[in-house]
Amino acid sequence: MKFFVYRYNPDVDTAPHMQEYDVEVTRGMMLRDALMEIKRQDESFAFRHSCGEGVCGSDAVNANGKNLLGCTTPVTDLKEPVNVRPLPGRPVIRDLVVDMSQFYQQYRAVKPYLIHKDPLPEQEILQSPEDRDKLDGLYECIMCGCCSTSCPSFWWNPDKFHGPQALLQAWRFLADSRDQATEERLDALEGPYKLFRCHTIMNCVESCPKSLNPTKAIGKIKELMLKHSI
Amino acid sequence: MSRQASGLRAWALQRISAAYLGLYLIYILGHLSFNAPDSYESWRVYVADPGVTIGMLLFVSALLIHAWVGIRDVLIDYVHPIMARVALLSLFAIGLIGCGLWFARVIFLASVAA
Amino acid sequence: MTLARRRFDALIIGAGGAGLNAALQLANANLRVAVVSKVFPTRSHTVAAQGGVNAALANVFEDNWHWHMFDTVKGSDYLGDQDAIEFMCREAIPTVYELEHNGVPFSRLDNGRIYQRAFGGQSQNFGGAQAARTCAAADRTGHAILHTLYQQNIRARTHFFDEYFGVDLIRDEEGAILGALTLEIETGEPLLIEAKTTLLATGGCGQVFRTTSNAHINTGDGMAMALRAGVPLMDMEFFQFHPTGISGRGMLITEGVRGEGGYLINKDGERFMERYAPNAKDLASRDVVARAIVTEVKEGRGCGPNADHVLLKVDHLGEDIIAKRLPGIRESSKIFAGVDPAVEPIPVFPTAHYVMGGIPTDRLGHVVIPSSDGSEEVVPGLYAAGECACVSVHGANRLGGNSLLDILVFGRAAGQQIITHLKDNPDYRPMSDEIIDKAVARLSRWEQEGEGISVRELRDEFRKVMEDHAGVFRTDEIMSEGVEKVKAVREKLKDVRLGDQSKVFNTARIEALELENLVDIGMSIVLSALERKESRGAHSRPDYTERDDVNWLKHSVYFQEGDRLDYKPVQTKPLTVDTFPPKPRVY
Repeated sequence: MKFFVYRYNPDVDTAPHMQEYDVEVTRGMMLRDALMEIKRQDESFAFRHSCGEGVCGSDAVNANGKNLLGCTTPVTDLKEPVNVRPLPGRPVIRDLVVDMSQFYQQYRAVKPYLIHKDPLPEQEILQSPEDRDKLDGLYECIMCGCCSTSCPSFWWNPDKFHGPQALLQAWRFLADSRDQATEERLDALEGPYKLFRCHTIMNCVESCPKSLNPTKAIGKIKELMLKHSI
Repeated sequence: MSRQASGLRAWALQRISAAYLGLYLIYILGHLSFNAPDSYESWRVYVADPGVTIGMLLFVSALLIHAWVGIRDVLIDYVHPIMARVALLSLFAIGLIGCGLWFARVIFLASVAA
Repeated sequence: MTLARRRFDALIIGAGGAGLNAALQLANANLRVAVVSKVFPTRSHTVAAQGGVNAALANVFEDNWHWHMFDTVKGSDYLGDQDAIEFMCREAIPTVYELEHNGVPFSRLDNGRIYQRAFGGQSQNFGGAQAARTCAAADRTGHAILHTLYQQNIRARTHFFDEYFGVDLIRDEEGAILGALTLEIETGEPLLIEAKTTLLATGGCGQVFRTTSNAHINTGDGMAMALRAGVPLMDMEFFQFHPTGISGRGMLITEGVRGEGGYLINKDGERFMERYAPNAKDLASRDVVARAIVTEVKEGRGCGPNADHVLLKVDHLGEDIIAKRLPGIRESSKIFAGVDPAVEPIPVFPTAHYVMGGIPTDRLGHVVIPSSDGSEEVVPGLYAAGECACVSVHGANRLGGNSLLDILVFGRAAGQQIITHLKDNPDYRPMSDEIIDKAVARLSRWEQEGEGISVRELRDEFRKVMEDHAGVFRTDEIMSEGVEKVKAVREKLKDVRLGDQSKVFNTARIEALELENLVDIGMSIVLSALERKESRGAHSRPDYTERDDVNWLKHSVYFQEGDRLDYKPVQTKPLTVDTFPPKPRVY
């Protein structure tokens, strides 16, 4: 199977180029396996990967124009020749490795941690199964970055717009019956940028390898904000 | 700009104006297909009706607000140099206000002539 | 070369559950703490833990920590230290509550309490009925815990060095640890981090085997750093093979599947665990189930065209339970095995999963050098916690749900101990240039150019050797050959050359350093295994089929210098309760 892989090593290259590789497809081969095979052929090729089962979120890349996880994408699902590029809109460090620091900054900016102000009970804070169900589809995010780096609004304003990943996490805490910082969280999201750059383009939903729905979460935040303002 | 400009208000105004625009368009298209005024005079009488006047003025305001928020969004997304953005925003603001004034004048004249 | 330097009160190498829980204690105490991780923290392998964390909360059935302690001692095949096990089982309860308070989205029971599921090797009343002790967030408990701990560290403003690789510990003439040399992966530049205390929390080393549930990053870096600093590794022959990895691929299918009611069948459709463990059946201890599966396949009752696996049947649980309690497993099975467990059984075979051994520590997290008379010498300034450490609470076999518990309890304990230590020891120890040179040399070795063996080639060869010679069943012949082969690999390592000498994000250089670590650890595994002439827990020898408590109720201690083995008695005396004396281990 033919692969064209984006190559750029700032130590030796002046400009990026696409390099061709031939990989023999084995049964059950995932895109990550193919990239590892390419690394076997060419030691100088760099990409991030770790768990190989879609939970660590290291190996998000853009293949044939789509953001996806290498380890959960069978190569047989990809049209030949496969064009593999780094996640769009992020500065390239080397080959498929991009600088995700703005993405992480936006995550930190939504205070992604439980804030419980009442005195803590000696045992667990009780939560009904129904309230717990509200966190399904939110807490599973693996921070791979497929969504935010496919979001045009994040491309244009990565320094000011939180992006779908961070907003999904903002809603994860707003939706948690144990969290007691709803007002502060909503206030912090005011303004035209952090939340309201979302134009429901829904690339995030399409690209999420865990089938999560950040657009829906963003809609819920807006709804709650409106409720609190009237 | 981000501190003063609103997020929720702009978004809510856009949604509310859209709802009004949608409803009004259904009404006006319905009215025109069954009851279209056939002369300048019948048009003038129709517009001079106080209910219709208010409805149309609201329609124009909603349209302008909707357009303003939309244009603002596009400019915030794509035009990052602050001077260029302010210049473009001013240009569109003047244009939209101009349209509004012209429309108000048309409706006002129609009512006065009656 | 002038070396960039930073100074912190505490340095933590590794950002999994143990490292992050320790960091959280330290940051909450307003100490300057640096967490060095070769990947962004939420990519650490804790994220892959599925089933849950054990604590006797008694939310489902009656339970108490003493029963949990009994199960753990029995599960360890009596090789676990009973003082440490008592400590862990007592601390489990406040630890899980603390996690919940920090925000972990545990699944819930109707009364609002944390959901607990049945897991292998758990009993009520010292070997009675099945217990339900494993606190779970669906089948993504590790993910939920790791993300929560990272989030709390964001709140506490812990200082992170993301994508920095730990090269070597800095050790002075008196044997004290003064920090570590690290390598910034993005720039390829070294950074010396000086610290009053250093905690190793680098996790496991499953990458020594070819088929493993472990991530690409699980290369035992901390263990190898300890070895090179003169610290031994303990009980390295005990490597857990998880019974249910996806056949041929190694991805894990949690024991929680069997806890929820799934069971194993062979090609005749027989529920074969009834023969091997009449009481606990599919929820027997992991070593027992793994051996049973390998035996079934060896005796020709395997499934599939190559008769090389057995099947895990789940569909009888019904769509609802599968969707609610095992959503992640369903997803993995569909992707990697091409089956929907709600319709078809999952093909499984044991996969290398967890190392019970590691850097010897006491229950407060101090790294200690044990000697055969039972005394221990503390290594000043060095701590270890998590899978890379050996306290030892898992002994010869770890129970499911006890690994998340281990990293959390001992990560926390180490953090607390470091806080105490820093109160009495506020100063940095002097650091001379000579002691840094040795660590720097480890980096410059890879600057040698020219023709040689490639890292990949030797890595593949080594992992195959380990799989063939240190697997589930081990005979003297197989392992003696293994020792020779690993020695040969170690020799060849000198001839390995890096073709790519570039600096920026050179993953080939990282993999070369990891290979050195793997080979160092591989040697400790094969040598310790060859010498232990008995079958105990995960260490199963067809030539010595019985457990031998007279000669072998002791920990193996491997020193790298001279490939020397020593032994240390097991601590059979708990802190407050009576000893659980060794008994035949039946399930």
